[in-house]
Amino acid sequence: MTPSAEETAGATVLPTRDAERALAYVAADGAFALYNDYRAKASVLERDPRIPPTEEPALTWRGGAAAGAHRPLGPTPVVEGYGVFTFPYGPVSMGVPEAGKFAVRTYGERVLSLEPLGGFKSRGIGTSVVGQPVEDAALRIERMAGNFSASHVAAFLAAADSALGREVPEVELWTRGLAQELQRVYNHLHVIARVAEAASQNVGLAQTHALAEEILRVQGAVFGHRWLFGALLPNGPARRLDAPDRSRTSRELDRLSDEFEALWELFLESRTFVDRIQATGSIDRAEAIRWGAVGPTLRACGVDWDDRLRVPAHPYTDLFVALPRETGGDALARVAVRAAEIRASFLLLEQILDRWPRSATKTVAPAAPVGPGRGIGRVEAPSGDLVYDVRVAEDRVAALGFRSPSQANWPLFAHGMQGAVFTDFHFAFESFGLVFAETDG
Amino acid sequence: MDAAGIVLSAAVAGLFAGAPMSLLHRRAGYATATVASGLLFAVAIVALVAGPVQGLGWSGPLGDPESLRLDGLSAFFALAASTVWIATSFYSLAYDDRPSPLLAICYSLTLGSIALLVSSSSLVLFLVGWETMTLASYGMILQAHGRSGRVFSASFVFLAFGEASTLLVFVAVAGLRVMTGTFAEVPAAAGSLATVVFVAGLIGFGLKMGVAPFHMSEWLPIAHSSAPSNASAVLSSTLTLAGAYGLFRLLSLLPSPPLWWGAVMLGIGAVSVLLGALFATVSEHTKGLPAYSTIENNGLILVALGIALIARTDGLPGLYVFALFAAFYQALAHAVAKTALFLSAGYLEHAAGTFDLNSLGGRTRGSDRTAYLGTLAATLSLAATPPLAGFVSEWMVLEALFQSYRFHPEWVQFEGLLSGAAVALAAGLILVAMVKFMGFSLLWRPRATAADPRAPGLGAPIAAAGAAIVGVGVAAPWILKFLTPTVAAFAGAPVVAPVGGLLSVPDGWSIVSGSPFGIISPPVIPIALAAGALVAVGYYALGRRRGARRVAPWMAGSVPGLERETYTSFGYSTGIRIMMGSLLQTREVRAQVGSVTRAELATPVSYNVDLEVLDVFKVFYDGLIRFGEGVASVLKTGVMPGRLGRYLAYILIVTLVVVIYVASAA
Repeated sequence: MTPSAEETAGATVLPTRDAERALAYVAADGAFALYNDYRAKASVLERDPRIPPTEEPALTWRGGAAAGAHRPLGPTPVVEGYGVFTFPYGPVSMGVPEAGKFAVRTYGERVLSLEPLGGFKSRGIGTSVVGQPVEDAALRIERMAGNFSASHVAAFLAAADSALGREVPEVELWTRGLAQELQRVYNHLHVIARVAEAASQNVGLAQTHALAEEILRVQGAVFGHRWLFGALLPNGPARRLDAPDRSRTSRELDRLSDEFEALWELFLESRTFVDRIQATGSIDRAEAIRWGAVGPTLRACGVDWDDRLRVPAHPYTDLFVALPRETGGDALARVAVRAAEIRASFLLLEQILDRWPRSATKTVAPAAPVGPGRGIGRVEAPSGDLVYDVRVAEDRVAALGFRSPSQANWPLFAHGMQGAVFTDFHFAFESFGLVFAETDG
Repeated sequence: MDAAGIVLSAAVAGLFAGAPMSLLHRRAGYATATVASGLLFAVAIVALVAGPVQGLGWSGPLGDPESLRLDGLSAFFALAASTVWIATSFYSLAYDDRPSPLLAICYSLTLGSIALLVSSSSLVLFLVGWETMTLASYGMILQAHGRSGRVFSASFVFLAFGEASTLLVFVAVAGLRVMTGTFAEVPAAAGSLATVVFVAGLIGFGLKMGVAPFHMSEWLPIAHSSAPSNASAVLSSTLTLAGAYGLFRLLSLLPSPPLWWGAVMLGIGAVSVLLGALFATVSEHTKGLPAYSTIENNGLILVALGIALIARTDGLPGLYVFALFAAFYQALAHAVAKTALFLSAGYLEHAAGTFDLNSLGGRTRGSDRTAYLGTLAATLSLAATPPLAGFVSEWMVLEALFQSYRFHPEWVQFEGLLSGAAVALAAGLILVAMVKFMGFSLLWRPRATAADPRAPGLGAPIAAAGAAIVGVGVAAPWILKFLTPTVAAFAGAPVVAPVGGLLSVPDGWSIVSGSPFGIISPPVIPIALAAGALVAVGYYALGRRRGARRVAPWMAGSVPGLERETYTSFGYSTGIRIMMGSLLQTREVRAQVGSVTRAELATPVSYNVDLEVLDVFKVFYDGLIRFGEGVASVLKTGVMPGRLGRYLAYILIVTLVVVIYVASAA
């Protein structure tokens, strides 16, 4: 359908939307936009964004909300009809571990539309780091979300390095990679445990928790902090990781990897588990691209995109990165992608520990800045593409923008829930691995 | 004719006299009806206590003597009907504010003709009352407010079903006349015509009772046209009662039934119970819901009657009598409870101006204590909550069903099993329906801003009906004893009421099913409840009051009081719509609102979503109507404009056939 004259008057005419191209990030000041081109398998930076920021559906994450203000986290269809009403769920709810609200439009039993509402968890981290030295800012950034601390810090530091033009020691980049992969394993285990809990798979839940706890202990042993807080700062503890430590860690991870394989086998044999998540919260490939899905959610829809491969950066350029993909688009596919990624991460961890840089002094040039004193950092966080946009002035953070994977995936969750029944909620929600903390910042 | 006979004649005449009185003033008509109903009530009690009452008699046009007469059977129905009418007539004084007296006239005529048919000693008089009742109630439905096309089509459906019913009843009466040689109500000896009479009577009276598959005749006129509430109460409580009376009377006149009569009634009853409960649960209309519940309750009467007939054929006299008591008690319990519910619907109409339960949403909460309590009693009773009337009757019907294991052959046992399951399922469903009615009309937090809740004068009759419900429930053992003449009149032999005692409960305080099978004591339940409540109240009053803390309801951290953030009545029963989707043919109709332009990207899409349910029988009837119209149009275009010669040939052939038939018969 073509827009009428009044509709286009006064507004910039949109370019025809490319079905294989998704917007990944738009700078708040409109200076540039990042796109993922799934056909060319490359990230594209547009210096002069043609799409006005306000017209884009994936932009609901743009601009932080004031603490406490409710804010829809995705465009939701307006549903009216006889007997249709809004069923509020949250902000304090039994199954969702964080403060966040869902406005469910329903005629009872079935979800007609679901609107996630954020802003309850807002701590203002994004604005509080402005004016801070980069290292102090990093200490705050890693508290965006405990499960993703390594990814957030890594992305932030990459952006800051690029903005400052700092030559980064190679071993520091490998430390970031090590931390991220460990945390990916932990987080995927966490998501699988949450789904297992929703499906009342108590034995699987306990075993997954035990495995996740072991990963936390490895993190504690290697980095001195179970949640990796403070571990990735320049001159962090892992830089002094010596050969015996590495081989011990490697052996430990080997054991955990075997345990996981056995556990996952059991999960797949449980009909109650598989039945409950199969065809739950389904989204198709076109929707996933259109609404800007990232991470396992995107890969579960058959799109092969992973920042570790598509946005070249150390150490992944030196490593073999597997790219698991599913085509189901449902909760089962998302969980399966996560399980395969656990396997891939164990493989990556082995490579990282095996090929740990010998030289402590060799440095790597940072990515080119996108503007004067401004850099972008992109990493593949456990739940997907994470973007940091940092401007520095006089070694302090002058402005900060970010787009977390949860922010990108909320609309997909809302979309996947349409037509589901209430009891599907937890399976669908947990399979997306969404976190309010990194959404609100 | 003794004094009681004079009162009976005066009562029937008085009910008819309400019509001319309405011409003076509609209130005069209703007042007359109230007084005459009181008289009928009194004389019905006399008839039950002291034996049959003989009223005015005359020689009928067909040579048979005709008279007004109340025997045990008709006295029961007169009693139940007059109880309802006292409440509805008094209620109408305040309810009917129409300028035209037409509603009042039709109302009085309906009451009069029901009284006439119930108290007639002759089948001709019965037919006269039957047809007058149909026409007069058709007139009442026509008085509905609302869109005239809808009102007209709904009342036309009523008239069509009503006339079909009259024709079949006519066939049954003619059959009885052939069998007995008289129009007087005398039992017929066995004959080949008995089956014809039974089938015609079952369908004819079943049409008026609104049992499946004729339930359109019950809910459609009431819900679709939103007939005036006093009319709805009379239609649903006493018009269907007249159908039940006809069926009881017919069966009492017919010879000992074959097994399949009872089996058919049991089957029809069970299907009606289930369908009625199911559709009541998913109905959002303050009158449609009670109308569907009527189908359920009339189904229960048929179930009990079916069990009784099977038990009689199978030689189980104890179960036969118990099931009969259950059937009569069910009729009584339903009549009083349904009256209160329809009067309440009228009250809600006055108070909130809508029949839509979904938009009502507790709007009238806490407004009028009397209406509130009356509606509470009615809904709880229809949901079969102890110790109310509906509980006792439902318990009796289920107890009768439990004893179907005594039947033989096995297929009847199996039918009893399935029917029992259907009745139990319906009992669960109707609970949802009644909680929905009560909750979303008067009990729960309002969804919309409150309307002016005062509708003076309407609350008292509802509360009175509510008191009757409690009374009929708690005093069940004594009322059962009181109904002994009714059951005896039906069974044609003396019977003993199924009451007794157990443990420390005094003899006569309990209802006993079978010999003995189950036992329950309705009067003890409120005593136990009161004792428990006393303990709780005492504990609260003495000890814990200081600790009580009043807070706003916890809304999971949200700000409470948002208008739309509460469950709708529609949402409340959607679970049933989805679970029972195969029976209800539930489907979702989704239409996109507006067009998708630039908005496809910028603003969300807008949908209109409706979840629709379908009555398969209505679809069948609609198909039948279309078929009939098709045939008619073929006849109209193909045959009617034909040549004169065809007509002459047709007449000639028909004449020849008749002549040959008559000649050969002679």
